[in-house]
Amino acid sequence: MTSTALSNVPVKKILRAIASAAERWSDADFPPRVRASDRICERLGYSLPMVDYALDRLFFDLNENALRAVVENELGSLAILDEFTSRARRPLARAFPAGNVCVISSRTTIGVALLPALFALCAKCDVTVKDREDALLAAFFESLYDELDEFKEAANASAWHAGDEDAPDLTAFDVVVAFGSAATLAEIGNGLRYDTRYIPYGTRASAGYISRECTADTVRQIVPGAARDLILYESEGCLSLHVLFFENGGALSAVDFARTLAQAVQTASVEFPPAQYQRSQTASIAHRRDAAAFRAASGRGAVFSDSEAGFALFVDPPKSEPPPFLPRTMGIIPVDGPADALEYLRGHGLALEGFATAVERDDIVRLAVDSGAVRITTFGELQHPPLTGNHGGRPRIAEFVKWIDQTP
Amino acid sequence: MPYHDYASEAAELDTAVANCISQRQVPGFNGLALRIFAHQLRYNAPYARYCATRGISGYAVPESWEEIPPVPSAAFKEAALCTFDPSQAALVFETSGTTVGIGGKHYLENATLYDAALLAGFYDAMLADLARPLRYLLLVPNPALRPQSSLGYMMRKVAAVYGDGREQWFLEGDALDVDGFEAAVQQAISDGAAVCLAGTAFAFVQLLDELRQRGRRFELRAGSRIMETGGFKGRTRAVERSELYEALAGAFSVPQNRIVAEYGMTELTSQYYDRVAAQDDNGVRVKVAPPWLRPRVVGPDGKTLPHGVVGALVHVDLGNRSSCVAIQTEDLGVATADGGIILLGREHSAELRGCSLDAEQLRTLTRR
Repeated sequence: MTSTALSNVPVKKILRAIASAAERWSDADFPPRVRASDRICERLGYSLPMVDYALDRLFFDLNENALRAVVENELGSLAILDEFTSRARRPLARAFPAGNVCVISSRTTIGVALLPALFALCAKCDVTVKDREDALLAAFFESLYDELDEFKEAANASAWHAGDEDAPDLTAFDVVVAFGSAATLAEIGNGLRYDTRYIPYGTRASAGYISRECTADTVRQIVPGAARDLILYESEGCLSLHVLFFENGGALSAVDFARTLAQAVQTASVEFPPAQYQRSQTASIAHRRDAAAFRAASGRGAVFSDSEAGFALFVDPPKSEPPPFLPRTMGIIPVDGPADALEYLRGHGLALEGFATAVERDDIVRLAVDSGAVRITTFGELQHPPLTGNHGGRPRIAEFVKWIDQTP
Repeated sequence: MPYHDYASEAAELDTAVANCISQRQVPGFNGLALRIFAHQLRYNAPYARYCATRGISGYAVPESWEEIPPVPSAAFKEAALCTFDPSQAALVFETSGTTVGIGGKHYLENATLYDAALLAGFYDAMLADLARPLRYLLLVPNPALRPQSSLGYMMRKVAAVYGDGREQWFLEGDALDVDGFEAAVQQAISDGAAVCLAGTAFAFVQLLDELRQRGRRFELRAGSRIMETGGFKGRTRAVERSELYEALAGAFSVPQNRIVAEYGMTELTSQYYDRVAAQDDNGVRVKVAPPWLRPRVVGPDGKTLPHGVVGALVHVDLGNRSSCVAIQTEDLGVATADGGIILLGREHSAELRGCSLDAEQLRTLTRR
């Protein structure tokens, strides 16, 4: 069995150390966080309030109880990481570390690679992270080192590019976690040992569904959350709202709904000012905005936007068009029912991560499931997956352990 | 003076634009652009409806060509944007549809203006220093196979008027006939014929890859030249222009100042070309328009940006008399003080940062 730097550290001590470091990082004035925030703003171009919001969400949730809950739910108990433990109607077993873990975050927004890295540490693995240019994980690992010496050997983060001389040899790892496009993930996967446990997280999109039961009051309650789901992380996260289906036959028209949502987007933009978009993005949003205005002038659809192309909502865009995947930009697609929505999603080959609904309805839940979404939630919660939930349809810690059973 | 006769007005405007093209100057660009726009407000109903939402109508017309509302190029997918019955069009060109899958159509009422504009622009940019006709070897869509391609139409017309009568086509869809191309180049060398190679950037990349593998390079006759027409969008491999031109120069022994990039759009009648002698301090090529085509670089609010500031390109093309005189694009560029533009390209895409899907990935998946 592979011996790791944390092999002999009791799991409770590891959890406590992680939670303690996270608590320090929950303070927006904690100097390493301040420095990291600046670097994140520089890397992504996001406004500081948005970066702060992301880091608050990330670190507030990282407490000992939540970590313990994940371990206990997925592995059965904390003790099972420290010693052979009996389980009801199952053999004695122990969850050993899976070994050396590499986490590669080639395309992520803020701190997405942190949680897999931390759960790998909870499983007592040695962890190497390919960090982003903002060095957020390296900075957080420094705080871990303050908590527990063994982390200095167990947790390591640095930036590298594939092909660099000092890039780690991926065949040396027992588990590889990677975030990226299908092409990147395939390339990484092709270079691994046959027995490497490979955990790829591909790029995905998220969708929402406003059902006909929604009244004007319901819509008023929903839109602030939907607006946040749209604008957070400038629509660049897999949990950003990328397309919204609006079911015909309700109290409001799609245009009325879009108007209300546009107002909410502008309100939310006061709290979360837009990033400095790349010029090609601005040009593309402006072009689509004006093309939608042309369409509207011809009696098809509507568009809500601003003169600076800071956001754009397209009502009834051509169904042949996929979501625009541009900052704060989204199509609102009128549908007669979930079947229409599913046809759109499948027609464009959209791999879904999250699915937001306004009301609980069996056929909408079935739509979410059929469309491949791995999380169903309400508007306003799309961008806030619970730490105790799964990640991308996969367990948090179970893939970082190797089980050994002891039988009579 | 108000017109009540469409045909007379159209003919008069076409004549005015044709005169500008033949004389290579537009003494009253502003006035002519506004007359053409007023004509389009009357006869191009979808454009007029769009302009009305911008506060522009027959009762509230702009005073400057820079205030003509540009129609987004994507609008050509939504409506027949023309001043006449599109079923009577002399020419119909289709966009490739690389952006979102469905192409648009550019309807033109007659070929005369279109031909005059493309021939004059090509001649001035590519041929003005030549006495003998060139042999055209073409790596662009063959109009016999893709009659809806404006680029193919243009090169067929150019070869017919300015060529030695022995032009050849080597592109079928995405497939390149490299054997045929090699033989044609060898023949041109044997014949002592100077050549014009014209192709999309992507076709040239494919060709160079293949020639490199075969270990082939050629000594084209002096006076030969190369026209590159852009076109990496939606492709899996893009290379830097400087790298491409260096490789082309090496493969065909054509000096880099005889490699000229053309920039055009299906939605336009006229084209920009590199003014090869004009490069900025960083060696970036400046593109110039013929006198009847003017660019604007605009911000997201549609207002013209100062020289040197990056923005989206709007083209005001008097050759578009029968469609829309002002076209808005997503292409990024910078205006130079002397009226040229530095094109930053359609392939200048945003850096992908998050774990969200993106449009390019979807296109790749959909193509599969």
